[in-house]
Amino acid sequence: MLEPLLGSRNGERVLIFLLARQEGYIREIARFFGSDPDSIQKQLVKFESGGVLVGRAVGRTRVYSFNPRYPFLKQLKGLLEKALTFYSDEERDRLLLNRRRPRRRGKPL
Amino acid sequence: MKPIGQMTCAELAAFIESCLREKGIDVVLTGGACVSIYSDGKYVSMDLDLVNTLFAKKREIREVMQAIGFWEEGRHFTHPDTDLFVEFLAGPLAVGEEPVREVHEISLETGILRIISPTDCVKDRLAAYYHWNDAQCLEQAALVAQTRVIDLEEVERWSKVEGKIDDFSRIKHRLAGRET
Repeated sequence: MLEPLLGSRNGERVLIFLLARQEGYIREIARFFGSDPDSIQKQLVKFESGGVLVGRAVGRTRVYSFNPRYPFLKQLKGLLEKALTFYSDEERDRLLLNRRRPRRRGKPL
Repeated sequence: MKPIGQMTCAELAAFIESCLREKGIDVVLTGGACVSIYSDGKYVSMDLDLVNTLFAKKREIREVMQAIGFWEEGRHFTHPDTDLFVEFLAGPLAVGEEPVREVHEISLETGILRIISPTDCVKDRLAAYYHWNDAQCLEQAALVAQTRVIDLEEVERWSKVEGKIDDFSRIKHRLAGRET
């Protein structure tokens, strides 16, 4: 959807994922889209060095989210939200309906 | 010219900025180093954050930095004669979602230092406090407000734009010092 603007399909995937889930890490995003982790990492590093995203270490994993201090954040999110409305219902549901609440250890299902 | 190993944080920033400017690269000092300068050294930062305002290519910046003895290590540049390290941040020059309109110029022995104003320095630190709940940054903002004259009404207006007026009301008393 925004590939002509962002110059990369994986660039759009990274930003759309973070819009929907608030945060994410390389393997999680790559697995979700069936993308190459190296390509996803390249996009995350690019957006981080451009100030669009911030990364923080959680254990041995680097978790990325939008940089709340990025001056065009509101406008960028608006654009991504608009782009998300063009995704199929199935794609949108997969992105948005994701369990984030904790699950007790050992609980069946 | 003073050797790099003897330069203060402000002098080193002015020297680097001047060398870059000769090649048409405009950068402005922001971040913790400004707190260090505006608090007269009450806060110490070893990190010089220079915003690459006109989006110069990294290769061009690297060439200038290498010519004055700095080496790139990951995202930073280091020099064997100083513990201060330098990072170039992507533009635009902004505090929160607003552009920085006023850049101060301070003439030093090593060059002209282009630096965000004390008021913008306070906003910059508050942005980190508001968005990441970083208490150290609130302390730094308070330190600048107590040492320099800042425009507290402007900080209040900006906080409102950032959607943080309630947070500002809670911490306003910490910034009361030498405001206009």
